[in-house]
Amino acid sequence: MATEASAVGLDRNQRTDEKAVSASVAGRKLPGRSKWRKMLARPPVISALSVAAVLLIWFAATSWFQLAPAGRFPTPQEFWSSLRQSLFAGYAGGTLVGHVWNSLRLVVIGFACAFLTGVPLGLLMGSSRTAEAVINPIFSLMRPIPPLAWIPLAILWLGLGSAAKVMVIWLAAFVPSVINSYTGVRGIDKSLIAAARMLGTPRGRMIGEVIVPGALPLIFTGLRLSLQAAWTTLVAAEMVGALTGVGFVLNVAQQDIYPSMILVGMLTVGVLGWSTTWALAVVERRMLARWPQGRS
Amino acid sequence: MGSIRFENSGKTYGNGPGAFLALEGVTLDVADKEFVAIVGPSGCGKTTCLRMVAGFESVTSGRVLVNGKDVVAPGPDRAVVFQQFALFPWKTVEENIEFGLRNKNVPKGERRDLVQGALALMGLESHASAFPHQLSGGMQQRVAIARAYVLDPAVLLMDEPFGALDAQTRVVMQEELVRLARVQPRTVLFITHGVEEAVYLADRVAVMTRRPGRIKEVIDVKSVRTGEKWDDLERIEDVMDTESFVHLRTQIWKSLREEKIAAN
Ligand SMILES: Nc1ncnc2c1ncn2[C@@H]1O[C@H](COP(=O)(O)OP(=O)(O)OP(=O)(O)O)[C@@H](O)[C@H]1O
Ligand SMILES: [Mg+2]
Repeated sequence: MATEASAVGLDRNQRTDEKAVSASVAGRKLPGRSKWRKMLARPPVISALSVAAVLLIWFAATSWFQLAPAGRFPTPQEFWSSLRQSLFAGYAGGTLVGHVWNSLRLVVIGFACAFLTGVPLGLLMGSSRTAEAVINPIFSLMRPIPPLAWIPLAILWLGLGSAAKVMVIWLAAFVPSVINSYTGVRGIDKSLIAAARMLGTPRGRMIGEVIVPGALPLIFTGLRLSLQAAWTTLVAAEMVGALTGVGFVLNVAQQDIYPSMILVGMLTVGVLGWSTTWALAVVERRMLARWPQGRS
Repeated sequence: MGSIRFENSGKTYGNGPGAFLALEGVTLDVADKEFVAIVGPSGCGKTTCLRMVAGFESVTSGRVLVNGKDVVAPGPDRAVVFQQFALFPWKTVEENIEFGLRNKNVPKGERRDLVQGALALMGLESHASAFPHQLSGGMQQRVAIARAYVLDPAVLLMDEPFGALDAQTRVVMQEELVRLARVQPRTVLFITHGVEEAVYLADRVAVMTRRPGRIKEVIDVKSVRTGEKWDDLERIEDVMDTESFVHLRTQIWKSLREEKIAAN
């Protein structure tokens, strides 16, 4: 380990030396090897290589050398045909696109409910001691209940349809939004609040132009965690009781003992979670463009 | 028009057995357009005095009056310049300066002219659309001063405004403030640890006792300043070299020293 670390350290030093040298000769006559190394060292290239490596190991372990027991762990070819099946022929009562649409819809609705209730509640708790005293005991008691523990009650109340799932997602995504918005308000520099009061800021503007902007970086942290919680909860809820959705696909595939279809379901969740998080990050970057951390 | 009056003012933080007496029987008058500096040992209650005038803290005995009226809450008639600048990081320089004017419902056209004037006054024209974190400390404090000045406040309250700046920048800002005080005289209450800074800037210097703080003595600087023609000297070091300056500085220094020794 130690020798490895020092070897890496040495390599870094060499590279900075190269930079210094190439700068002094105005970048001319770069040796071919280091040019390659520089190109390979670019983050997107590294990422692509990493994905390729995983694919390669997958092929090697299943199709080529059969290291994994056949029938338990799907080969890439099996995965591909299951993906085509779910996309075109349909599986578990619908095509993959239909399942995805249903799941995505529930997550977006549940997340939106959590955002619209959680963030204002957190802001309120952060800016008013009274509100904090009223809400905090109830919130502290509800918080440790895992969102999945609400599923039985949700199904009892609202049945196996969408409403029960939205409720559970809402509850799960609600908590991080509240906590982070609250922490965000509490973390605002006291002198900024004092400055705003000194400048005669009316209440509405205090919230809109001082408290919300001050808490915004943490509000977004909360929303990211909320989104993650929404997906986790949705899949779990659909696996317990549903008639459609990606979690339902996973459940049916398990009962059918169909590993490659399970993998299709899992990767679909992965892609969905990743792309919604990415969309949120785009919004965050735009909104936080004015913030010191957001720009660096 | 702006005057400040401490009338036997006292401040106790907290209550019951944990109560903490910070100020007791502070009496001081600051006249309209007068520049008064307060110096005193650390923890004697200087900041508390200023926060009471600003309306961030209430008096627990006696009164604090601005223009003859008891202070009840913070407001734009008493502009504060904070040691840590306290600029809104998500607003540009211009927006920071404009914010208080918007709160006062100043019409848009007039607001633009006032902001332009304030930017020019502090030499900030080329930074109007920069964000605070893109500026140096000295520049940020200029913005904070512009933000306070543009409100045309009755009194200007400054709590160690140059304390966070390096020595060179501080000197520049001190000269700047003297220039500002000549161009647009205001009633100023200025808190500092620097005796030289106090003598250089103020018309009068109030020395406070150790905790619980009260005003120990008030030293007149203005008569010396005009009598010795300090204002004819362009640079701060020339003023500080004059015999009259050194004399005043030593006098205040000794007075402060007594308090510090007594505190230990
Ligand atoms: N909110 C508060 N609650 C309790 N005690 C306080 C509070 N604010 C200040 N104090 C105490 O009151 C005393 C005076 O504080 P203050 O900040 O006014 O002193 P200061 O003269 O400005 O000190 P420094 O020169 O270090 O800035 C200090 O002993 C401080 O610990
Ligand atoms: Mg202080």
